[in-house]
Parts: sequence; C-alpha cells; structure tokens
Amino acid sequence: MTALRLLLVDDDVLVRSGLRVILESEPDLTVVGDAGTGREALAVAADTDPDVVLMDVRMPDMDGIAATAELVARDPQRPRVLVLTTFEDDDYLFRSLQAGASGFALKRSDLDSLVDAIRVVARGTSLVLPDLTRRLIASHAPSRARGAAALPELTGREADVLRLVAGGLSNAEIATELYLSRETVKTHVSSVLLKLGARDRTQAVIAAYESGFMTG
Amino acid sequence: MTRSLSGRPARADHPTVPSSVPHVGEGSGAPKGESPGAAVGQDRAVPPTTSQLTATGLAARLRAVLVAARPGWRGRALYALASLPLGVLYLGLYLGLIGSVVALVYGVGVLLILLVLAVTRGLAGMERRLARRLLGVDVPEGERVRDQRGVVRKLRRLVLAPDTWRALGWLGARLLFGVATSAAVLFGAALFVVLGWDTEWNPLNALPLLAFMVLDVVLTLAVVDLLVRLSASVAPRLLGTAPEQRIAALQQSTRRLADRNRLARDLHDTIGHALTASLLQATAARRTLTPADDRPLQPDFARQALGHIETNTRTALAELDRVLTVLRAEDGGRDPVPFAAPSLDDLEDLLAGLRDGGLPVELVVDGDVDDVPAGAQELAYRVVQEGTTNVLRHAGTPLTVAQVARSGDTLVVRVCNEPVAQQDGRPGPGGGRGLAGLRERATAAGGTLTAERTPSGGFDLCVTLPLSGAA
Repeated sequence: MTALRLLLVDDDVLVRSGLRVILESEPDLTVVGDAGTGREALAVAADTDPDVVLMDVRMPDMDGIAATAELVARDPQRPRVLVLTTFEDDDYLFRSLQAGASGFALKRSDLDSLVDAIRVVARGTSLVLPDLTRRLIASHAPSRARGAAALPELTGREADVLRLVAGGLSNAEIATELYLSRETVKTHVSSVLLKLGARDRTQAVIAAYESGFMTG
Repeated sequence: MTRSLSGRPARADHPTVPSSVPHVGEGSGAPKGESPGAAVGQDRAVPPTTSQLTATGLAARLRAVLVAARPGWRGRALYALASLPLGVLYLGLYLGLIGSVVALVYGVGVLLILLVLAVTRGLAGMERRLARRLLGVDVPEGERVRDQRGVVRKLRRLVLAPDTWRALGWLGARLLFGVATSAAVLFGAALFVVLGWDTEWNPLNALPLLAFMVLDVVLTLAVVDLLVRLSASVAPRLLGTAPEQRIAALQQSTRRLADRNRLARDLHDTIGHALTASLLQATAARRTLTPADDRPLQPDFARQALGHIETNTRTALAELDRVLTVLRAEDGGRDPVPFAAPSLDDLEDLLAGLRDGGLPVELVVDGDVDDVPAGAQELAYRVVQEGTTNVLRHAGTPLTVAQVARSGDTLVVRVCNEPVAQQDGRPGPGGGRGLAGLRERATAAGGTLTAERTPSGGFDLCVTLPLSGAA
C-alpha cells in the first residue's frame, strides 16, 4: 500500500510542525509539503502532487476557501481538500464545502478521528462527519425547488442510493440497506456523481439539497 | 330557587348584589352609565351582609376584588375609586416638594427633594401597574433608577431623567382627575339628596322626580367613567418611555452586542488559536517520545514543543486576564459602556506579564499619546502584543524594546529585539498569524507595517499610523 501524500496548509508554523509530526507517525501517511498561505499552497500543491490537502480557512494572502476553489478548478479529481478548522464556524465551513472541499475536521479532534477523516476523504466512499456535514448542508443550502424533478434523470435505484448517500451512509452500509453488492453500489454512486456533475459525495449531497431532492 | 342558585354559582360570591344590576352592566358591554354604579353598589353592599366585619376580612375581600379585577367596567370603577385617596396622597407629595424647595433656601431641602423624587418614581411604578391591571393600558416599563449602578449614578438619574419629571406630571394629572371625580360624585350625590329629600313629593311630580334622580345617577357615573378613560389615554404618554429613550437603549444594546462580538473574535483569535497550537504541539511531543514501531525518539522536538506550549499558554493567560478584566468591569459597573478594546494604558500590564515570563522588555513612550483615538490605541496595543509574542515564540528571550512615539499626526509603534542568543526554533518569515492580520488592519487605517530582520540579526516590527484618519 502506498502512503497517502499530504499537504499541510496553515499560517501558524506551530500548527504545521505539530501536525507534521503527528501525521508522519502514521505508517500510511506521509507529509510531502506545507504552506503558510493560500497562494503558497497552490504553488506547493503543483510541485508535490498531494492526494489530500489539509487546509486552514483563515489565512493571509488568499484564504482556504479561495485556495480550495482554485485547486478544484485546476483539477476536479486531485487533490481532495480536507478543511481544518479551529472552531465550528458554520458559515466558513459551508462556504468551503461549496468551494469544493470534500469534508472538514476540527483541529482539536483527537488523532484517530483526524486520521480517519483523511483516509475517508482520500477513498471517497463515505462522508466525513456524516451527521454534522448533512446538518450543515441542509441548513445552509438554498433550496430552490421541490421534488426530484430538478435533478437530471436518475433511475429509481440511483435516487435511492443518492438519498442514502445524503443520509451519510457509506457504500458498505448502502449495500446492506439495499441488498446490493458493494461493487454495484459503487457503480450507482459513480453514475449519480456523473449525472450530477459532482466530484465527490459531499458535492452530490450539496446538489441534492440545493435542487430540493432532499429537504430538511 | 335551588335551581336558579346552582344555575349561577358565580353570583353566590356576591349574594347581596341585586342580580339585575351587574347583569345590565355586563350584558350591555359596559356602557358608561351603569357600570361603575354596579361596582359602587357592590362595594357598599358588602359590609352589612358579611358576617365578619373585621378589618382583616374587609382587607382580604378588597384584595380578592383587586386580584379578580380585569380591565373592564370593574377595573375602571376601582380605578375611579382609588383616585380619591391617591389624589390626597399626591397632593401631600406636591406640598412636600414645595416645602422642600422652600427648605432649600435654608440649605436643608436637597435631601427632602431627593426623597420626594424617589417617592414619586416609586408611585409612578405603582401607577403603571394600576393602569396596566385595571385599565388594560399597555404602559412600557421605563428605566429603573434602582437598576443603575452606584449611588451617584442613581441620584443623577433620579434628578435628571425626564422620567422623573414626567412621573411628577402624571401624579399632578391624577390629582386633578381625583379632584374632578370627587367634584362629580359630590355634586351628583347632593343633587340626588335634594331631589329625594328636600322636595315635596306628590303624585303629580313623583314620576318626573324619579326620572331626574335616575338621570342624575347615570350622568354622574358617565362623567366619572369619562375621566377614567381620559386617564387611560394620557397614562402611556406620561408613564411610558420616551421614544428618544427607547432609541438610546437600542443603540446601547447594539453597541454592547458589537463589543461582545469583538470580544468573541478576540478570544477566538488569541486564546482559541494559542490553545489549538499548544494542543497540536503537545500531541506531537507525546508522539515523538513514544514513537510507533521502529521510529526514533525525538527529544529535541519534544523539548522545543514544550517551549512553544509554555509561550502560547502564557500569552493566552495574559489575554484571558485582559478579557476577564473587561468583563468584570462590565459586571462591577465601573464602566457603563465597556469597550473591549485595550488601550495604550494597558501596555504596562501586558509587558509586566511578559517580564514575568522571562522576556527582558522595556517600554518607551514619546510624545503626547493621551488623546490618540481609541481605534489607534487598540491597534498599537495589538502591534506590541504580537511583536513581543513573536519574539518569545521565535527568538526566545533576547533584550526587547517596545516603542510608542507620536509626532504630530503620526503614531509609530515599534517592537525590536536583539539578536537571538542561541538559534532555537525556526524563525518563520513574516511571523505568526497575527502579523498578517495586523498588516491588514494597519493598511485599512491608512498606515504601513514593516517586519524585517535587522542587520545585527535581531528583528524589527514597525507600524506607522496616521492619526487624522484613524478613529
């Protein structure tokens, strides 16, 4: 198994050096670079080609939200962005998800959940902090229309899958729920993402809420 | 009989009241005439029928009536009744005020006036409740002198607040209403007696006389009711809060909210951030001391991390201290509109804390900085705070000078330190997070920020602020 390549972006050198030591002590993670500003992050990301960027939100010289949007615009598939935040500031978090971040984690969360979040973001088979994320999206997404009509035609199965994805279930859980194989679920999820033009599950959930496919 | 009694159990409370009278009053939606009459009749009728004629029984009864009273004819009747004794009381109050003004000439009236004004405010509170309860008028609660902090402030509000003088005006109005009510009742009663007893009754004039007596009662009650309604329409104006007061209160609460938000943001940026960094450093240090599998121990990193944690915690505590001082000042009433922002006066405290932490730092203030606007003072404080914290964080404890100098319309704030004795840590270019924020704020205020290494190897943080534009 090749180690996940991480890029740390935070304007505080202490946060970066702490995170570096912590994450490097995991066998399957390797920190390939760090940056103190959003602009610096873009340059380092281009050089190091990380799998996951751990992105602070508030930074001088391009904040994390703008940097995330720029990274996504360059390449929708790589790298994934995990937003790191000191406090749960709803507004910032939602805006960073909207900008294309795959999930968020608190800087104060314990090591295991932080490492979990990084792996989940890299694999893309589930949402990070599913309950929190869903609640955040549900309460912030401006719901335009009601009913599934606003979404491009999903098959009945795909609609079921999207509903469960938005409910925070992982592929394995969806497979159990719908009596399908994991491979089949994976195929359905991929085609849902394709039809919605979403780069990952988080973006699909945002689209589901914004279209009115999911409510509340 | 039993059926009719059980049919109207509520009436059993007032067995002596002719059941037809309150019926008329209630049923006709409280017309001006009959309604107060019913209550008057009721009040008069109570004593003879109740077997307990004791004062306590009567008081309990009255209280029960008051409690049961709702806005409506009963409420208005009670209000009219109350205006008689209250009128007398307020007359006494006015005489007291005049007396104390006279006593002022002899130099002993000040206390008396204050006493009378305090009583006035208290009575206005009672009047407010009366009007609310009996007349159903919505009278907004004014500012309460009792809630003000400090005796001097209490007294100042007592004498200077327009509330006091409007309350006095209201009591005067009540006095006049009382006089008018008594006059109407007296006149009505006199006419009633003249018609009933001083006139020769004979079969010819009996009917007209009776009609006149009824008309007399109706008219009297109508006048009384009119007076009560007049009071009800005037009460909110004299007893309520003035619009400008409401606006001022709104502005103050808005300002407080802004202060709170600013305080919250400060806490987030300073303490929250310091704790997060400390947490990560501590976690990392533990990892390096108990490495997984075959990784090497890194005691150097751990030692460095502990140093960072020490610095971060110390500055976080200093910030906490400052915030708590602000909050306590707010609670203790020392400052009615506390401004969460620190000023140049707070610099000595800040630096004293750092000296305790081992940083040899001197403060030099040049020029007249007393009338520097609060916004610029806060920014200057932040510059010194950030600069000295960065010295501790990146350079350890070298000799450091914080300088605040004003010349004309320019304020220069500078923090510079001697070269680092031993190279520990890695001095980050541009310093910590706060420096970027400071640069933004300095630029927004029309100033400039430079942060650079000195030729001798120290560090120099310098912010220049124009004072004319800053506020």
